[in-house]
Amino acid sequence: MRPGDLLGMSLGNYGRARLRSSLTTAGVAIGTALVVLLIALATGAEDNVRRSIFSIGDLRLVTVQPFQPGANGLSAVPRTISDDTVAKLRGVAHVDGVYRQFDAPLGMVVEGGDDATIRPQGIEPGAPVDRGDLLAGRHIEAGDHAVAVIPGNIARLVAPDVGAAVGKTVTMRVGGAVKLGSTRIGGSGTPRDYAVKIVGVFDEQASQTSFRIPLDDALLAGAENRGLTPQSVRETTGYSGLAVEADDSTNVADIVKAVQELGFSSFSLKQVVEQIDQGFGVFKGILAGIGGVALLVAAIGIANTMVMSVLERTREIGIMKAVGASPGDIRALFLAEAAYVGVFGGILGLALGLAGGQLIDRIIRQLNPRTNPAAIFVVGPELALGALALALGVALLAGFLPARRAMRMSALSALRYE
Amino acid sequence: MKAPLAVEAIGLERTYASGHTRVAALDGVTLGIRRGEFVAVMGPSGSGKSTLLNIVAGLERPTGGTVRVDGEDLARLDEEALARHRSRRVGMVFQAFNLLPRFRVVDNVALPLAFSGVPASERLRRARAMLERLGMSARADHRSNELSGGELQRAAVARALIGDPAILLADEPTGNLDSANGAALLGLFEELHAHGQTVLLVTHDAQIAAHADRTVRMRDGRVVDA
Repeated sequence: MRPGDLLGMSLGNYGRARLRSSLTTAGVAIGTALVVLLIALATGAEDNVRRSIFSIGDLRLVTVQPFQPGANGLSAVPRTISDDTVAKLRGVAHVDGVYRQFDAPLGMVVEGGDDATIRPQGIEPGAPVDRGDLLAGRHIEAGDHAVAVIPGNIARLVAPDVGAAVGKTVTMRVGGAVKLGSTRIGGSGTPRDYAVKIVGVFDEQASQTSFRIPLDDALLAGAENRGLTPQSVRETTGYSGLAVEADDSTNVADIVKAVQELGFSSFSLKQVVEQIDQGFGVFKGILAGIGGVALLVAAIGIANTMVMSVLERTREIGIMKAVGASPGDIRALFLAEAAYVGVFGGILGLALGLAGGQLIDRIIRQLNPRTNPAAIFVVGPELALGALALALGVALLAGFLPARRAMRMSALSALRYE
Repeated sequence: MKAPLAVEAIGLERTYASGHTRVAALDGVTLGIRRGEFVAVMGPSGSGKSTLLNIVAGLERPTGGTVRVDGEDLARLDEEALARHRSRRVGMVFQAFNLLPRFRVVDNVALPLAFSGVPASERLRRARAMLERLGMSARADHRSNELSGGELQRAAVARALIGDPAILLADEPTGNLDSANGAALLGLFEELHAHGQTVLLVTHDAQIAAHADRTVRMRDGRVVDA
């Protein structure tokens, strides 16, 4: 039989029991729509999480923390990150750069009438944290002393706009009591004032409190706060952290391992992303499973419809066989009829899922205008095609047994069937 | 002069097992039908005549013996090949007409060609030509459930002949027709035969069998008089 004839004839059969076919198709459509909606929701959520992670930082980065490996919360045992650690890490394969960081005690900047709490962060020139986020001025450079790169919100406190803040000298008070409003939130030692010149202003989305200052300035401030020398701070307290940059994000795992072998805990976005991917994989699987149950119910509906269809047309099957339909022709006719249910149901379900997603999206945004993700439901081409293929596959599977039954029917007994 | 055989059955057996008893519908039938012959197989109900016809038609397989139709040993055909045998080598007319009621007459007539892969336009052209030949053109576009019994059987004959079969098989074709329509149908068979069509007709009625060149009588699964 020619494919065109086959499809034409089975389309006629599909259209003959109109109500039954449309109800079965609706079942497939609902199942498909549910699968599409749920997976689109999970994809949307994953996209949003990933987008915010990528906005946080570089996947090539491994942050070394001054604790034992696997440290968390109260169980953290401090470890000293010394220059020796830095030298060892520089020798690890795939390490592109190691940047030291020393956080001086909390402090405040006293300027323009308002006190703003700040975290002085001593960094090396070119440190990953100090890259590409400038609103005005420049980053920390080699040989800098008594300078700072500050967040935009504080720049606007000390000058009418961020541009005007560059070049201004402000007083950075390190240590002592640090208050947020009237609440004391921290601070240590006796406060000491340092005059720093603002050389750059960065976008406060990265941080609203951090003052990027040269590493040596931070070490000095930290030492003076505790009555020590920078050298002894380096040796006993050690650095607050290291930013280790891999040559490629695929090598991050090796570097993390090396850091752990040196006895330090580490953090990398790459590993977080991997965990998130895994988590979302499970999440999507569960949601697809829930949608799959709906499709399974639809499949039972298809099977039922096809069994009815075969039974109703027993005599017709007998006639067709008598005039030359081969077993394969008969099976193909019924499988094609089931496939129509799958294809029409799949297309309808996909449309329903897309429209439903848009509708829910609109309702959520109306209820909460500040909803910020770009898209709550994300339907990519893989999902669209996958949903269609799934609907078709489910329909063919459901149609298989009834079609086989039609195929194996004896022509003679089918002709005698009333 | 001996024309080649259209049907050749040698020691043909067909037994049905029902529970512990075995019923022999055909019990060693040996029979030859030459090309161009019009043969009636006659016998009372249960004599095995329909079983013989169904085996020749490829609707049923024998449990023993050999049957060749137009030279082809049917035992050697698998299901797919047997389907091709039904669509090309034989044409079958049933007592119950067996047309598809929701199809037009012309579509019914063209149906066997669909299963042998003839394109739709060609199928319809040939089906209309066949209906024309049988004087049924006026009914070509009617649905088959709008036809009278005589017309239905004529359409069924058209369908049986559409694949230009080596042999036309008919199982009590006049069983559901009144005598006038029955006579007309037998007239049609005679006319087809006159044009060289081999016809094998099964009936229990001696008057109908009398239209054939030769009558084969069967009883209890055996040929009693060829």
